[in-house]
Parts: sequence; C-alpha cells; structure tokens
Amino acid sequence: MTRFRVVAAVWLALGAATLVIATPAQAQTPRSGGHLNIMLREDLSQGFAVHETSTISTSFPSMPCFSNLVLFDQHKRTESVDTLVGELAEKWSWQDNYRNLVFFLRKDVKWHDGKPFTSKDVKFTFDMLREAPEAQAKLRINPRKDWYSNIEAIEAPDPHTVVFRLKRPQPSLLIMFASGYTPIYAAHVPPASYRTGCIGTGPFKVKEWRKGEFVDYVKNTDYFVKGRPYLDSLRYVIIENRGTRMSALQAGKLDVSFPGEMTKTISEQIKKAVPQMVITTVGTTVSDNIIMNVKKPPFDSIKVRLAVSHAIDRRGMIQAVHQGGAVVGVALPPKPLGVWGIAEQGLLALPGYGKAADEKDKARKIMAELGYTPEKPLKVEMATRAIALYVDMASYVINELKQIGIEATLKQIETAQWHATATRGDYQIGANLTGLGVDDPDANFYENYACDSPRNYSHYCSEQLGKMIDQQSQEVNQQKRLELVVALQKKAEEDAARPILDWRLDYFSHWPYVHNMIPQNNIYNFGRMQDVWRDK
Amino acid sequence: MKNYLLQRLGIAALTLFGMSLVIFVLLRLAPGDIVDILFSTGGYVNPSERAAIEKELGLDKPLWFQYVEWMRHMATGDLGKSYRYDLPAWEIIRPLLPVTIELATLSMIVAVLLGVPTGVISAVRQDTSLDYVLRVVSLAGLSMPSFWLGMVIILTLVAWIGWIPPMTYVPITENFKLHAIQFALPAMAVGYRSSALIMRITRSALLEVMREDYIRTARAKGQGERAVIWSHALKNAILPVVTIIGIEFAFLIGGLVVTETVFNLPGIARFLVQAILWRDYPIVQTLVMFIAMVVIFSNLAVDMLYGVLDPRVRYGS
Repeated sequence: MTRFRVVAAVWLALGAATLVIATPAQAQTPRSGGHLNIMLREDLSQGFAVHETSTISTSFPSMPCFSNLVLFDQHKRTESVDTLVGELAEKWSWQDNYRNLVFFLRKDVKWHDGKPFTSKDVKFTFDMLREAPEAQAKLRINPRKDWYSNIEAIEAPDPHTVVFRLKRPQPSLLIMFASGYTPIYAAHVPPASYRTGCIGTGPFKVKEWRKGEFVDYVKNTDYFVKGRPYLDSLRYVIIENRGTRMSALQAGKLDVSFPGEMTKTISEQIKKAVPQMVITTVGTTVSDNIIMNVKKPPFDSIKVRLAVSHAIDRRGMIQAVHQGGAVVGVALPPKPLGVWGIAEQGLLALPGYGKAADEKDKARKIMAELGYTPEKPLKVEMATRAIALYVDMASYVINELKQIGIEATLKQIETAQWHATATRGDYQIGANLTGLGVDDPDANFYENYACDSPRNYSHYCSEQLGKMIDQQSQEVNQQKRLELVVALQKKAEEDAARPILDWRLDYFSHWPYVHNMIPQNNIYNFGRMQDVWRDK
Repeated sequence: MKNYLLQRLGIAALTLFGMSLVIFVLLRLAPGDIVDILFSTGGYVNPSERAAIEKELGLDKPLWFQYVEWMRHMATGDLGKSYRYDLPAWEIIRPLLPVTIELATLSMIVAVLLGVPTGVISAVRQDTSLDYVLRVVSLAGLSMPSFWLGMVIILTLVAWIGWIPPMTYVPITENFKLHAIQFALPAMAVGYRSSALIMRITRSALLEVMREDYIRTARAKGQGERAVIWSHALKNAILPVVTIIGIEFAFLIGGLVVTETVFNLPGIARFLVQAILWRDYPIVQTLVMFIAMVVIFSNLAVDMLYGVLDPRVRYGS
C-alpha cells in the first residue's frame, strides 16, 4: 500500500504542478520586447544541423531558428496527435485510409535570407532524410532514417502543396513530423552549411554563434506569425560547469534552465535559495535501461536475461540513484508523462516490477537452476559510458546482480567509443540511457527494437515482435492501437529485450517573470520560443 | 650572445619538432576519433557513412602522410580546419588567445604583488609571529587548488549577495568595469596559489643571501636596513624567483582549464579540453604547439633576463 501511496503522491504533485503553471500564463497579457538568457550545458555538437544529430544540445538551441510542418502545441505539456498544431502547414489531410498525407502550406513564409519557402523545400528535406534515389542532397550522418522508411514518394504538385505517399498506413508519421528533430531545411542551402549557421523560417534569426560561449538570436521581423515572437532577442549561454550553471540561474544571469538538466536534489536547493523560482516537474522521455547482448553468451539465454530483469529493484533505484526523480515504466513513458506507457498497476506482473524481495527470489531461483549462486557466481562484464549519469546506474545494477549470483565488473567505456561499442555488440551487458525524439511507438520500436536498426544495441530480433510493431504502426483506431502497443511493451519486457529501469524526470526551472515557457513531457520538442515573453 | 641565442632557437625548433611528433602520435593513440564522436551524437554507427566521413576529413590516409600534410600546412601558416566546427582552426583559436593570455598575465601580476613582498617580509622577520602567519597563508595557497577556490568564490557570492561575475566574455572595449570584474576574481584565485610559491621561493632565497658576507659588509658600512634588503639582498635573491615566475606563466597558459571552466571564461585551456574530448586534431595540435612555444620562449626569456639581472651571467662571452 505504501508504494501506491508514494506513486499517487507523485502523480498528484505532477498534476498540481501542471495547474499551477498553466494559470498565471493565461491570466496576463503578453508584452513584446526584452531579452532572455537561456542555459546551455555544452556547445552545439553539430552546429544547427539538427538532422545530423540526436542530441538535445543541438536541437534545443536550434529550435528558434526553424519551423516544422506541424509542431506539438507549445502551450501544452503532453504531446499527442491531439496537441498538434500547424506551423508551415496551414492544414493537412489524411487520404486513402492513411496511405497519403497531404499538406497545404502557408503562402507567406520566407527563409531568413529572404527567399520564399515552397513545397520544394519540404520535398528536399524529406527526400534527403529518407535517402530517396532522387534526393538532391545527402546527410553526413542520418540518425532518423528509420522514421521515414515507410514513405514511398513525395510529390510537390504546386508550390504550396505536398503529398506524402506511404507504402502502408502509418498514422504516427504526423507525430514524427512534429518533433524538434524534424525541422524543414532550405533547398537552396547546402545541408552541410547548417553545421556553421542557420537559414530557417523560425521566429528568431541567428545573429552570432561564438564557439564555446553563446548563441545569439534576434527577432525575425518577417516571421509568418504576425505579432510573434514577443522577445527581441535570445542568448543561449554555454556553461560547462554544473555548479556555475546553477549559480548563474540562481543569481539571475540565466532566466531559464536547460531541459533535462535539473535533478530533484538541485531543484530543491534552488527553490530553497530562490523561493520565487518556478519549478515544473515534467517527464524527459529519457529512460535508464539495460542492454544485454543476445548474440553472445550468457545473455543469449532468455533465462539469464530474465534473471537480470527480475533482480533489479526499479523503485529502489529511483530512490538511490535519482533521489526520487524518476518514475517506473517500460518501453514508453507512463501516463501522465506519456500517452502509450503502461501505468504502475499494469506493470506488476512483469519481470522486476513485483515486490523487490519476491523478484529477487525469482531471479535467484533461475540462476540456481542454471548452476549459479551468490557464492558461485556467473562472472560478466558490465559496460557503460564513462560519465556519471551512466556509471551511477551501472553501479546500482552491479550491486543488485551480486545478490542473485551474477558478479559483474564495471567496464567504463570512453564516451567517444560508447555508441560504436554498443552498435557493434562488443559488450556482454551494459547500462544505457535512451532518449525518445517523440513519445510514439513507431519512433521507439523501429529505432530501438527492430531487427535491422543500428540502435538496437541488444541485437534482440524477434519475428513476432517485428510483426507486432508493424501491426500497431498501421492501426488507425487509436484505442485498438493502444491495446496493441501495451501488448508489445509487455512482450518486450517478458523477453527481457531491453529491460527499462525508469523514466527520468526533469525539474524545469525559470524565473517568474518569464511567461509561456512551458516545458513538455519530452525534452526534445519544446523551445520554439515564439510565444515566450517576460514582464520584467 | 648572438651565438647563444641562435643555439637556443635551434634547440627550440628541435623541441617543437619533437613535441609535434609526440602530440600527433598521442592523439591518435587515444581511443576513438572525431568520426566516433560524430556518430555518438547520432547514437549509432554506420560503417559506410563512417568511411565517407573519414575520407572527407582525410583520416583514411596513412598516419605518416597525415603528419607530413600537417607539417606542410603549418609551414605555410595554414593551421587546418576544425573537424567539429568545420571552420579554419585559426578563426576559432584567435579570439581565445587574448582571454587566456590576459588571465595568465593578471594572475602573475597578482602573484608577484602578493608573493614577493610577503616573501621579503617573511624572510626579514624570520621566526616571528608574522613569519609564521605568512607561511601558513602561503601553505594554504599551495594546498588549495585554484579551481576549488574559484568555485568557493562563486558559491559564496551567489549565496551572500546573489550576484556572480558575467557569464559571457565582456571585451575591455565594451565595458571596462565589467571586464575588470570578470577577470579580477579568477586572477585572484589563480594568483593566490602562484603567490604562495613565489613567496616561499623569495623567502628561502632571501634568507640565503642575507647570510652572505657582502650583506654584512653593507650593514657594517652603515647602510639602512631597507637599502640592504631591497638594493643588495633582493637583487641577488631574485634569480630563482624570476625562474619560478617564468615557469608559472608558461604553466598557466595551458593550466587554467578548470579556472576558465568555473568562471566560464572562453580561453584556450578550456577549449583545449573540449577539443581533446572531440578528437578535433587540428585544434588540439595547434593549441598544444602554441602552449609548447610559450613554455620554450618563456624559458628563453627568463634565461635572457638572467644576463640583465646578474652581470656575472653573460652568454657567449
């Protein structure tokens, strides 16, 4: 009962935070003018070349420059098909039972260099992303190619209409178009040039990017939404030292924190020092998870994988590693953080989600059947990225495994080598973090569970799971799709394909004079800044 | 003198050549390269895309060829292009240099202004309470890393007055007052540590000199204590102090990493660490060569200064 009380308290707090934040922003009339200083924890990794990276350090500070076809409503906390709003697309329409998606584009949009925006730019962008034979340009790195593999052809019948023809129905495609990772590039600009500058159609123009120091934006006076943006300028201040970042926020040198940056402990310290600071608890769509290489012994055995999954006390980890700043969930974030995840009660029958002691007993029993005990353990190597975020989690897991007869030694892999090591499968078991660009089953499952995906680090490949992924992907009835997605998540956990340990929370912070800066339950998709204003 | 200078310059050139080899090889011995990092930001690796980027950056060429190419470009003043930023290395490095040089210079000024007088006082008042206090203060300076002191300064400021120095670089031409504030705190944090070292060297050198016969003679001739100390003793005790100042300055050019990070100053030391993490070879190689040049020429300058400060030291005679 205690556990349920704790969980209920967390959800109530989240709900209350939502109400508290929503009210004052709507009550006041926005003012134009002013400047905002925004926290950035490291320099932009690939400049503004959002399509060539999967890091928030690029996508968040690039968002004011760009526009998407559609975007998640920047005033709403949760992202779903119901919160989509048009950006470059005025209207859109699904046709032929979700086989064709037609966008009707705005006619009053100009690129930052003054050239008109047309359907050619949309075709250029998505042909490049899906690596179509007729694509006019190629990306150096294309991390989200899988998102667009169902697009058969893109047509631009006139300058303001674009038609996406799909191989099969895929309602999720629209959701993926709304991600912060899906801006439209200009066809008349080489994609490589986005690594050093930004020609977009967004509410702000890049004024200066001083490497390692800041990114300055000024208001785009030709922005297609009249009266926006409210602010005259933005500065993303790069501060690499966490202590200095927090001091800068506390001292008012920064007005807004960086998504995913504020831990529970830090936010409590800030709140104590600056009681008026607005702190909102939101989801991040970043999970801690265990990857086990199913191509190599001993984790080619589902029994060993299940023992690992049973052994890890998720709730204990949330307290020990995150001081309560995370929630339990499986492959997709649970409600109210996400749309598709399984709530706490639905998880109880899954490996690792029952009572910790019972789960450990189950794990010990499996290991004993395989001939291993804590006294005579199975020896493995636990790989993880050599940064604290990963190492803390790995250390906790190693301690859990020790109790069931698995002796794991920690192998820290230099950060430059981590993804290469995981992709190649040069590891036995690993502690990993995964961020989801959008809260959507297609984006997650095709990226992290599909047999041929380079990000399927476990190399887990199940024909049945593959069929379930395809089936939910083309289901147009939302309720039926949800049922399929729930079954899919359960199957992935029952196979211990990539046991999820928790979903991290963020304690997004800003000063009270900043309005309409509404964090979403996904760190990657808010930050357009067109409606943000300040009253100081 | 001319021959000596030429000889030293020849040795300097050889040292730089050796450094270039060491840094080139060490960088490539470190696991991973820029291509791994680029893919790391994408969260995956694709062998064919990887090969294409290696080709684009010239990393597919044999190592000896890469080294020769680097040397050839350096000889023509071309420092290469940053792998990370896709911009000429010099364009990136140029704005960083004045920040680090200014911080190192100000730190040394603080260090000398604090270290030399306190060293003299400590030596003159040997074994008095004042001497003990100054020695404890200097020992504390040596024991406290400057970055820790920097962090304490920032946290104290924010906790007590809710204020910290600017978080982005303010050029002196833009706002002198803010610029001065921005550099004063890190210069004090770094200078305090260096001053401790200078103080201890000054004290011990001065104590040694004060026992020399010519000091006794000067006193016997009726010279005032101030003249004895400042004109006779300190002048002869200053050589090891000058050496330390030269070494410290050279060390600071590359050793301000954490101080620059804590105070968020865009200098070369902080940038060098980022460049190493990104395996941005052209930037790292250029910065390390620059630091090596500063070390070599600081030492040379100190050696030259010996000749000026001490008439007994004359090169090439």
